[in-house]
Amino acid sequence: MRPATLARWIVLALIVLVVFVPMYWILVTSFKTGRQILLSERIYVPWPFTIDNYVYLFQESRFALWIRNSAITATASTLLSLVIGAAGAYSLTRLSFPGRRTFGGIVLITYLVPPGLMFIPLYRTFIQMGYTDSLGTLILAYPTFLVPFVTWLLMGFFRSIPRELEEAALVDGATRLQAMVRVVLPLAAPGLLAAGLFCFTLSWNEFLYALIFIGDDSLKTLPVGLSEFVVSDFAFWGQLMAAAALASLPVIVVYIYLHKYMVQGLTAGAVKG
Amino acid sequence: MNALTDRHRERLLGYALIAPVAIFLAGLVAYPFLSAIYLSLTEKIVGYPAHFVGLKNYESLLESGRFRIVAWNSAAFTVGSIVVKLVIGMAMALALHHVVRGNQFIRGILLLPWVIPTVVIALTWKWLMDLFRGLINVALIDVGVVRSGVHWLGDPTLAMVSVIMANVWRGFPFFGVSFLAAMQTVPQELYDAAAVDGAGGWHKFWQITLPSIKGVVAVVTLLSTIVTLNDFNIVYIMTRGGPGAATHIFATYSYELGIMSQRWGLAMAASLASLPLVALLIVAVVRYLHREEE
Repeated sequence: MRPATLARWIVLALIVLVVFVPMYWILVTSFKTGRQILLSERIYVPWPFTIDNYVYLFQESRFALWIRNSAITATASTLLSLVIGAAGAYSLTRLSFPGRRTFGGIVLITYLVPPGLMFIPLYRTFIQMGYTDSLGTLILAYPTFLVPFVTWLLMGFFRSIPRELEEAALVDGATRLQAMVRVVLPLAAPGLLAAGLFCFTLSWNEFLYALIFIGDDSLKTLPVGLSEFVVSDFAFWGQLMAAAALASLPVIVVYIYLHKYMVQGLTAGAVKG
Repeated sequence: MNALTDRHRERLLGYALIAPVAIFLAGLVAYPFLSAIYLSLTEKIVGYPAHFVGLKNYESLLESGRFRIVAWNSAAFTVGSIVVKLVIGMAMALALHHVVRGNQFIRGILLLPWVIPTVVIALTWKWLMDLFRGLINVALIDVGVVRSGVHWLGDPTLAMVSVIMANVWRGFPFFGVSFLAAMQTVPQELYDAAAVDGAGGWHKFWQITLPSIKGVVAVVTLLSTIVTLNDFNIVYIMTRGGPGAATHIFATYSYELGIMSQRWGLAMAASLASLPLVALLIVAVVRYLHREEE
């Protein structure tokens, strides 16, 4: 083996190890007994292992409720953003009207405004509206970053659909709206699905808005629930890491489907880190 | 005549379809933002109406020692995270570039930190760095590097290093995969020509690879700077800005002023403090993206 190739494999192995260890630590901890964690026994391999931590989550914590709240919020805000964003993206790529470029620019700029800058202004607006402390607050708040994202992502997909197909439908007597619904949207279905799954992931993982806008314990979402996870038992890390593993599961499943789009999306600058 | 009505119809449909986006962004992005600018110029004491105070909130921020620490921490957190992400991301891309078998699979695994909820990542790193039972300290003692646990989150400097480490872990795979995607579009002929001239690997990297992917490097760096400068989750969960104010950054500080202390005028001013810089960065990204489109 050439020295350069050897060096490459060493670097790669180190990077894989660095990525792997924290994820391994989540899983290992989640299967440890309270005693093993408290006394640092069996630190690398949990043996004998237990599933008590997972059982605890469903029997003695509000984990199921947090999942429900996160699922409702993520699904509703995703659907809302897809409808609004798809209409906007079609308008910006296929129809010509004065001010189109300006709208395109505004969408891109709002996409880039970070939530860390927006959360206090947005919170004040929701207080003014008298609409905090409801899952509806989050369902309205998440599209502030999801709509620009969907619009920007779908503009790319719409551009890749040949105009001729749509024009053929117009010649056959379809209206513009019919051409969009029957020709363009079906062809953009993979893009819509990818955009929807991205939105779901972003909403599912969102923490800051959910932390600030929701005070009611029964309306907390999964990330906020996790961040406030405290039980009387000193070695609560077992339960917390079990919760962390389960919270990551849906987005990892979604990701298995998405990852080919991610590599494309990354180069288009459509997805940010 | 008919053509004209068609054009009018197209315009009308165009406006109708963009209207929901426009209304949404006007109501829940532009309005909050503009009213934040106004509120940052007022003072509000609970029980009394707000009154206009001009730039007083900004002045008191600039004079406060705590805000200066916050600004300095935000800069350190951002620059530290980005530099390390650039180095590891580049190493990852270069290492993966010539791997043919299993490339997709390895890339898939390496991107996982980027999809896992940030809250999970922050909690996991907090647990990894636990003084007595965390894996890092236990492993360091096992190997014999240290005799007793390192106070990762208790020492001011190490706490900053720790939140940067967690942030880098989350973010470098995105850098790596983006760089790799860009590297794979560089024509092989360039390398072949350089090889004929006797160029080595180091030379090829600086003369061919880096110049060819500099657009992607710039966009990724700018995007990441915007987000990191306004990060909240990792710091809030791992340290709450502590110990003292050692890891307090812009967003955790405006949280403290607004949500904890209800000093809205000051909180708005603190929220907007990084805006001039963020605005510049956004303009730079938009320009780069438009250039790539053309």
